[in-house]
Amino acid sequence: MSDHKERLEQSLSALMDGEASEMETHRLLKAVAEDPQLRDRWTRYHMASASIKGEPATTSIDYSAAISAAIDQEPAHRRSALTVFAGSAGRFAIAASVALVAVFGVQQLNSPAGTSLINDSGAISEFAGVETAAENSGPAIQFPSGFQPNINARTVSVGGNNKTSLRTTPVLEFQQQAQQQIKQQYSEAELRAYLNNVMTKHSSHAALNSSQGMLPFARLSEVDGQEASKGAGETASE
Amino acid sequence: MALSSIFQISLKALLLKSFKPIKQAALVAAVLLPGPLFAEQMESAHDLMARMAKASRELNYSGVFTYEHRGNLTSAKLIHEVREGKIYERLLHMDGTQRDAVSRADNLDCLRTGDMLLRGNAYKINNENYSRLKDFYEFHIKGDGRIANRQVSMVHVLPRDKYRYGYVVAIDKESGLLLQSVLMSHTGKPLERFQFVDISIGEYRSEIDSQIKEGQFGNIDQTDCVELNRKVDTPQSMWQLNWLPPGFVLASYQSPGEDGQESLMYTDGLAVFSIFIDSVQGNTLPPVDAKLGATVAVLTKADINGHQYAICVVGEIPRGTASQVASAIGIAP
Repeated sequence: MSDHKERLEQSLSALMDGEASEMETHRLLKAVAEDPQLRDRWTRYHMASASIKGEPATTSIDYSAAISAAIDQEPAHRRSALTVFAGSAGRFAIAASVALVAVFGVQQLNSPAGTSLINDSGAISEFAGVETAAENSGPAIQFPSGFQPNINARTVSVGGNNKTSLRTTPVLEFQQQAQQQIKQQYSEAELRAYLNNVMTKHSSHAALNSSQGMLPFARLSEVDGQEASKGAGETASE
Repeated sequence: MALSSIFQISLKALLLKSFKPIKQAALVAAVLLPGPLFAEQMESAHDLMARMAKASRELNYSGVFTYEHRGNLTSAKLIHEVREGKIYERLLHMDGTQRDAVSRADNLDCLRTGDMLLRGNAYKINNENYSRLKDFYEFHIKGDGRIANRQVSMVHVLPRDKYRYGYVVAIDKESGLLLQSVLMSHTGKPLERFQFVDISIGEYRSEIDSQIKEGQFGNIDQTDCVELNRKVDTPQSMWQLNWLPPGFVLASYQSPGEDGQESLMYTDGLAVFSIFIDSVQGNTLPPVDAKLGATVAVLTKADINGHQYAICVVGEIPRGTASQVASAIGIAP
């Protein structure tokens, strides 16, 4: 344990005792933002002090990561625009913020969730956005027997240029290529069969490698009956 | 670890009776008193999970459970019996399209990667790295409950990163069986829920014996059984993953069959995702993102030497993780 770390931990316990100086507190807050270990320690101290006082240990779910991710994900222009508007007249500010919310909402819907997450180096950038987009993806359209397409279907051309387009149903556009057929359109039935098949195989695997035993098979209730029993049968007879 | 080291230091300080400043003594008191309590709680939550992994394989039980997602509810009947070192399982969907029951037989001693991880074993990924469930999830006992008319312990399983989801599970106090499992999003919303409505445990169901004789149970592939520190490998695969969400290890590999489909399956002990690579269907399938309940499917295309491949990542994982995995698949050098 380094000196610096030790000092921080002493500051932390001082803070817990209400004895930390202002400078210590500042240093601690800064360090906590960067050091998940220290953050965990802080949480544990709180649990410890709660149990001393006989309070129920109610750390429950740690939202801090999700919240900070959500904050990170906020586009910068929103903050700056808000600061600008904050200075102007109240009425205008309200109108503006409504407009901003509208713009922000639309932007979130339109942002290509599948592609924007991954930058060229393959690192993840806006993680929280993924889930939000995934969860808010509107009413269930019954697509491949319950498979629900996300609004942003990613179309990738054979040429390798990724394009993102907004469609309610994915339609595939292949660029023509010499050795390929002139133009191919996928058949939805084929896609459905494929997704059902991989879903079935995945579930039978999940039923062997997770805590839930055979329960994951219940996920197949929406997958086409014949496909499901066929796929599961294949696995069973292997 | 850090907590225990403080604990040791403070213990030493106590023994040597060498507490210098008063503040340090206060720290000793603060840490010493709740420390063991807290450690015990962590221990038992983790033990519960390990016990659950064992119970779900080794006990006889049968019951009806529901599966719920996005306002849809379906139910299924499950029978799990153990006979002479073999597990016989049968699952029947109780609603929707009429279909055959899924029946399968497995060797009791065949532990798979998921079992190993769930039982709390450190799982060797390579020479330097170990994967352990508790490195990627926190376990908290959140009190008692009642499910399917049985007393349960509620356990919150919180992910330590954003690559996986959390769970709320209910574990039967008496038997250790999993009676409820809710998959939770990062914002604390339930994504799907399995829950038993009725279960009988420890009953001997004689009808299973005749069904076994009739050969109704297909044997599950035993090639994915693992022992401690032995891992599943991809001997002939031309593909490799340039990135994996931390903690996930390969649990199963299927080399390309007649249909040209190759599959790799990964687990961290709780979450599972599968990768399917199709060489034959690669030409005809469109890239698509799909979602079924809590399961996402990300289908992408790869063009390798003029040949089209369809790469599909399926799993109960955040879509970002699935996309990232899909884009990290490349050709092995």
